[in-house]
Amino acid sequence: MLKGMAVTFRYLFRPPITVVYPEQKRPAVQPRFKGRHWLTLYEDGMERCVGCELCVIVCPSQAIYVKAAENTPEHQVSKGERYAEEFQINELRCIFCGLCEEACPTGAIVLGREYELAGYTRASMIYTKPMLTEPYPGSSGRDPGREI
Amino acid sequence: MSEQPTVTLTIDGKALSAHKGTTVYQAATRAGIEIPIFCYHDRMPPLGACRMCLVKVEKQPKLQTSCTLEAADGMVVYTDTPEVKAGQEAILEFLLINHPLDCPICDKGGECPLQDQTYKFGPGRSRFVEAKRDFAKPVSLGPALVLDRERCILCWRCVRFGEIIAGDDALKGFERGFSSEINTPFTLPVQSKFIGNTIAICPVGALTAKSYRFISRPWDNRPVQSTCTLCGVGCAVEFDVRGERITRTRAREHPAVNDIWLCDLGFFGHAFVDHTDRLRRPLMRREGGFVETTWDEALSQIASRLGRTSGPRVAMLGGARLTNEDAYVATRFFRAVVGTPHLDHRVDARPQSPDLAVSWGMGTAIADLALADCVVLIGCDITETYPVLWLRMKQATERGATIIAVTPKALEIQRFVRWQFLHRSGQGGAVMLALADAVRGTAPREAPQGIDRTALAAAAKALGSASRPVVMIGRTALDAPDGWQMLAASGEMCRKTGTELNVMRGKGNAFGATAAGLLPDVAPGGRALADAASELRQAWGSLTTEAGMTAPEILDAAVAGGLDVLFVIGADLANDVPDRERWRAARARLPFLVVQDAFLTETAQMADVVLPALVAAEKDGTVTSIEGRVQRVRAAVSGPGDARGDWAILAALAARLGKTIAYSGWEEIFNEMRGLIPGLGIDERLPVRHPPLGKPSEPERPASAAGGFPLILIPGEALFDRGVLTSRSPTIADLAGEPWAMLHPDDAGTIDAADGEPVVITSARGSVAVRARISPVVLPGHVFLPRGYDAAPVNTLIDVNEPVTFVQVRALAPAAPS
Ligand code: SF4
Ligand code: SF4
Ligand code: SF4
Ligand code: SF4
Ligand code: FES
Repeated sequence: MLKGMAVTFRYLFRPPITVVYPEQKRPAVQPRFKGRHWLTLYEDGMERCVGCELCVIVCPSQAIYVKAAENTPEHQVSKGERYAEEFQINELRCIFCGLCEEACPTGAIVLGREYELAGYTRASMIYTKPMLTEPYPGSSGRDPGREI
Repeated sequence: MSEQPTVTLTIDGKALSAHKGTTVYQAATRAGIEIPIFCYHDRMPPLGACRMCLVKVEKQPKLQTSCTLEAADGMVVYTDTPEVKAGQEAILEFLLINHPLDCPICDKGGECPLQDQTYKFGPGRSRFVEAKRDFAKPVSLGPALVLDRERCILCWRCVRFGEIIAGDDALKGFERGFSSEINTPFTLPVQSKFIGNTIAICPVGALTAKSYRFISRPWDNRPVQSTCTLCGVGCAVEFDVRGERITRTRAREHPAVNDIWLCDLGFFGHAFVDHTDRLRRPLMRREGGFVETTWDEALSQIASRLGRTSGPRVAMLGGARLTNEDAYVATRFFRAVVGTPHLDHRVDARPQSPDLAVSWGMGTAIADLALADCVVLIGCDITETYPVLWLRMKQATERGATIIAVTPKALEIQRFVRWQFLHRSGQGGAVMLALADAVRGTAPREAPQGIDRTALAAAAKALGSASRPVVMIGRTALDAPDGWQMLAASGEMCRKTGTELNVMRGKGNAFGATAAGLLPDVAPGGRALADAASELRQAWGSLTTEAGMTAPEILDAAVAGGLDVLFVIGADLANDVPDRERWRAARARLPFLVVQDAFLTETAQMADVVLPALVAAEKDGTVTSIEGRVQRVRAAVSGPGDARGDWAILAALAARLGKTIAYSGWEEIFNEMRGLIPGLGIDERLPVRHPPLGKPSEPERPASAAGGFPLILIPGEALFDRGVLTSRSPTIADLAGEPWAMLHPDDAGTIDAADGEPVVITSARGSVAVRARISPVVLPGHVFLPRGYDAAPVNTLIDVNEPVTFVQVRALAPAAPS
């Protein structure tokens, strides 16, 4: 009994681990943390995503919708013949398992560190392609020069 | 029949017996043992090109290709020893050396035999580090097909399809070894009516469809099993649906109809379904223009107009685009609710032509065409009208069948036609009489000019000695100036050879419309109206059982002011009727025109009320093919806006007229039809009922060329055209190209027209502008002009009171001196 109480008291006088969120925030999440998705770009600004829909079929919660289209010389969006014309992720359905990132053959889709995902409507939680695409190469935190 | 000799062999320890002549691969597959293949296709003889199907055979030093190896007695075969596995891995590694592995951007990804077999039998890694074969890609091979030469594994399936199955040699192999590639002869756009099938059988993503490019993945698609209604063969199809859109059409296996093939109209011709031009809301004419309105208002207006007239002053035309159930409810609506006997689906029939005297459809089963030993095509351009039937005939020719053709334009399949009798317009009857005489054994009477008598005698001999002859008569013959003569001679020939005459007439569900009673003079099921009267009265209440007017007579009545209301359901009269001027005159005298269709056709543009209808791919029910086979169609998508199914529209209208037509769905209608139509059942064949042949109602008049119109017009069929539906299916519209006409080089020379140049064809009635095609497949003095191009409607040139239409062709731009 005494032994047990000793443990209790030891913890009682340690500083608390709990963070008073959202007033207080932890400095950073772990590097392998899986937060919101980004569609990343190559260094030259080309989209990595080729609209292959592998993320769609692998996703266990069926959160992703992709509609592919064909690149033309005048409108070259990605490398190769195919690109994603539409890309939507329902962040409400997503369970942040990261399988989409694992399946992606070009390393286009990645899960970032941002975890503050909330909205006032369901519709606002369906992230569309402009919301998902990183604003400039590397802004999601991934090296745009990486292989995949 | 004598027992086929069998052999006994052992595969993977299982003792199997197989017919002599089967291959080890076939024996194994039948026993449920999987052997991977690429080049072998069970509809074609083995080739042994890919080496994927390796097996170990005891007492044979090397691995053997099981697709070419005939099973022999006592053979001991292994499909899964380490040696076989090593062989399979080596072959796959070898095939992948030059394969780009761009599965993520490849349309075959997810349904690719190369992917699947690599997963299952492949080594998992490659030792190849050198540069892969690098071709420019993708290569466009015409409007339908895209080729990626890097992905091709040179299995030759597509090439052999063109040689063995379709006979069109559309794709060929070029170069050797490392630089081997598939392409079209002279790298021209692919010339085929069946190229979609090569996409289906290509085991990799080398051949893909332009219309399906990056549209969907197999896991996005919901397959809906249905039937193609575009020509009348009734091929079994599967619509792949993503969301509310049909992404592609694929063949479904049906051994009695299309086997596993389709034509390109079936593959690419369903794109019109989600076209933005589809009618979404009822339209009403107000102050000269159309306004969108509600169903309520549109139906009230029609009902009040019908209320102010008597039954027999109402008529209905059309119906070949309906399902059986729609057609049946239409028959009921017009006979029992409106009380008119004037209904006819044969809107494109020429007045007084034998078209109206015969029953459309085939008595011969489609599958039996492959067993025929002699096929006679009388004014029937089989590949342009019922393309998939040609694939059966091609099989018959492989077995040595003789094809005899009596046509005014040489057939596309002329390479396989043993006797092609190319006749002048109006001489077909004489050719047929001579042929019938010769079959009968009497010396042929005077053969028409330009027809070889010895050839006639030889053809007749082949036909006379055939044990399974098939005779087909088509629209070109029935509409010909000597159509009655051709029909009589064909009938005579059939009697002599003990076969029946197949009337190759009617698009879409024309057979079903006939069976459902959309005819003026017969009841559902082809029975006499008087015989069926009491049964019909029991089912429908009071109705009119008189015989009504045929389609041409309905138009005449309208011209004479004898009609108050005309319903046009699923037909574009302006383009379908043989003589456009008569339709215009009829419309001008018609107080009220209702059109029920999916698009604002030319006919609909002249209507007072237009009701938006669903198309076959949006409906549940049944359709009937040219051989009388009743098959299911299923709603793949739900249809645009407020569009409704045809029978539901008529039922709603009946309610406005104070009568009840109430069905819970197509099944209930179908069940009621079963009581009235003997032999009706899903996947059963309805018989063709041959009415006793009428006599020509008008003596044939010799035609004489009028001054200034030196050429004779031959209207005909083209599989790919630009009509209401086809012009809205982009691939088909591209395949069809601009309207064209075929001229003999001699005639082209006199008017200075060059191939592909614009010409104007003028008759006493009107003129159309088309592009000239110059070829000796038509005789000098004739111009062949395909129907179905709404921009160059043949019926503006034709006056049905004249047996022959004489025209003049003028080049728009003089040909450049060569
Ligand atoms: S993280 Fe998992 S659940 Fe979320 S979108 Fe990707 S695959 Fe789907
Ligand atoms: S994100 Fe990756 S897996 Fe998803 S469609 Fe794009 S390339 Fe394919
Ligand atoms: S294109 Fe396809 S079907 Fe034709 S040879 Fe190449 S892999 Fe075979
Ligand atoms: S042959 Fe006729 S029914 Fe068959 S796919 Fe072609 S158009 Fe459709
Ligand atoms: S399948 Fe036997 S060699 Fe190709």
